[in-house]
Amino acid sequence: MAEDNNTKMKCMRCGHEFFGHYEKGVAEERSCPKCGSFSVRPLPEKKKPTG
Amino acid sequence: MDVGRHPNITLLTYSEVEDVSGYIGNFKVKMRRKAKYVDESTCNACEECVKVCPVVVPDEFQMGFASRRAIYIPFPQAVPSSYLIDMEACLGNFPIACGKCMDVCDQNSINYDMKDEIIEVEVGTIIVSPGIDMYDPTEHDEYGYTKFENVLTSMEFERLMGPTGPTAGEIIRPSDRKMPRTVGFIQCVGSRSRKKGNPYCSNICCMNTVKETLLLSEYSSDIKSKVFYMDMRTFGKGFEDFLKRSKEHGAIYIRGIPGEIEEDPRTKNLILTIEDTMTGKIEQHEVEMVVLATGITPRVDSEGIRKLLTLTTTSDGFLMEQHPKLKPVEAPTAGVFLSGCAESPKDVRESVQQAGAAAAKAQILMGQGKVKVEAITASVDSEHCTCCGICAKVCPYSAITVDVKNKIPATVTEAACHGCGTCSAECPFDAITMKHFTDKQLLSMVDNYLEEKQKEKIIVFACNWCSYAGADFAGISRLQYPDTCRIIRTMCSGRVDEKFVLRAFELGAPIVLVSGCHYADCTYINANRWAQLRVEKLWNKLERLGIRPERLQLEWIAASEAVKFAKVMKEMEEMRKKVTIEEIKETEKILKQEREKKEAREKKKKKK
Repeated sequence: MAEDNNTKMKCMRCGHEFFGHYEKGVAEERSCPKCGSFSVRPLPEKKKPTG
Repeated sequence: MDVGRHPNITLLTYSEVEDVSGYIGNFKVKMRRKAKYVDESTCNACEECVKVCPVVVPDEFQMGFASRRAIYIPFPQAVPSSYLIDMEACLGNFPIACGKCMDVCDQNSINYDMKDEIIEVEVGTIIVSPGIDMYDPTEHDEYGYTKFENVLTSMEFERLMGPTGPTAGEIIRPSDRKMPRTVGFIQCVGSRSRKKGNPYCSNICCMNTVKETLLLSEYSSDIKSKVFYMDMRTFGKGFEDFLKRSKEHGAIYIRGIPGEIEEDPRTKNLILTIEDTMTGKIEQHEVEMVVLATGITPRVDSEGIRKLLTLTTTSDGFLMEQHPKLKPVEAPTAGVFLSGCAESPKDVRESVQQAGAAAAKAQILMGQGKVKVEAITASVDSEHCTCCGICAKVCPYSAITVDVKNKIPATVTEAACHGCGTCSAECPFDAITMKHFTDKQLLSMVDNYLEEKQKEKIIVFACNWCSYAGADFAGISRLQYPDTCRIIRTMCSGRVDEKFVLRAFELGAPIVLVSGCHYADCTYINANRWAQLRVEKLWNKLERLGIRPERLQLEWIAASEAVKFAKVMKEMEEMRKKVTIEEIKETEKILKQEREKKEAREKKKKKK
């Protein structure tokens, strides 16, 4: 499983962007540090195609 | 002792649970009874074997202060009182070179060929009481636990003072075997700290220290105790009197935790530097021995028990009870109860109380002989089931069995199913129906709400136990929130299927909110986490389709959070106002096309 301690997160309520921990397929409690909403979407960077 | 003699209790010591299957009333427990190499039915604990055993190893029970032989009784009060051989230390097995214990045993109780035994028992209920581990203070370098001989943990000190301890109760300090005249106790080592150790209070350390200061004063009036503390938590019955007695017997309580400890290399005395927070002064105290009041931690191997019984833990690593106030001894898995320090640190009194409660609860169930099954349970349509195994994976109660390899469709054990509906929401083939909360029923509610004035509606999926109760509380508290919210109750947020959300958007809903219990408080162990993962997937899907993902919202709202419910609804209303008619129309068009494509694909598949 891909694990990332510095994944970009976006609050779906207030739009605030911050960095947090993310592991693909693993649920983790996340809240927006600005508005406190739990609608936080992880935005992991997509792997660029190689070659 | 009483337990060992009780005719209705079978004691399986030196055994490990390897597997638990089944459900309330019908658990099957597989245990490994480890070989003791001594027949406990004939061993009369005459001790002749110990006298001839040549192998000497540190005694774990005496915290390494004494030694034991390879054949030993783990601790003086062990039941049954018979010997066992530590085969890793014994010379008699590999290589076969000794055999002295066998030679002297009149009872012929020694058997080097004894093998581990696998035992399977059927039980109706299970009480989990895994015990505790003591916090290892090695990381607290400033206290010199690994550097200075005269720094001990409270457990080591307890052994030193015990009548069955290595010195038969004589209190001496390790460096010179002399009685210490001043003993310093440092409280909260590994407890109540976010930097080192554990953030929680270990509950027992304050009273244990008070008890030890009293024992010291009774042992010798020449010993002075100094206790360095943050707060003395003496909240139980008679505890405050106990503390008062300790002070009357000469123990000095100083409010301040040492920053560091130094050793006088000549005397091996310890010098503690502290800030007395009552006076604000920096002080130095010289003591002859230091006792670290180390906290307690969950057992290292309790993780295995957690997995076997499909339980969850709280953030401190202890097992989670079904409800902290109303069901403190029931585990979320039906028929499983918690006692002792399984769910939090406890002293003897609380442990006895909880053990009694757990035994009574188990007894009530077994006395009834039958249990009421939930009306809301899942049922599988075996014709549609493709045996993918997703439902079994997401079930928080392991109530679903499916043989993926041999393609045997899923079956639901109704007595174990609690009706969260996560399986039904996750099933990609719609093969699972939730009784009373079927797809048809829930979709009909979506359709009905969005029959007219769609632009003015916010669809809220609320879990029965927390968010819906929060909405109810907001109502009875007469809190004002927008009348545009349309609440659809599900038993759990885990029941909210992707297709419910997409249908709502396709029918013109500007905003959809999925809400459930707070993260660690899910009534269905961890079903709300599947809701979160589903919402995360949906955000990605909506974005891929060109729909603004912000229109789908997620929130955890507790039953007591009426104010929060009203606040979130007001936020949803603000968001709703920003969604334009054009955006809604575009969404409807996109999702209609998507649905038609999917239906065509499925039609084609069926024809094949």
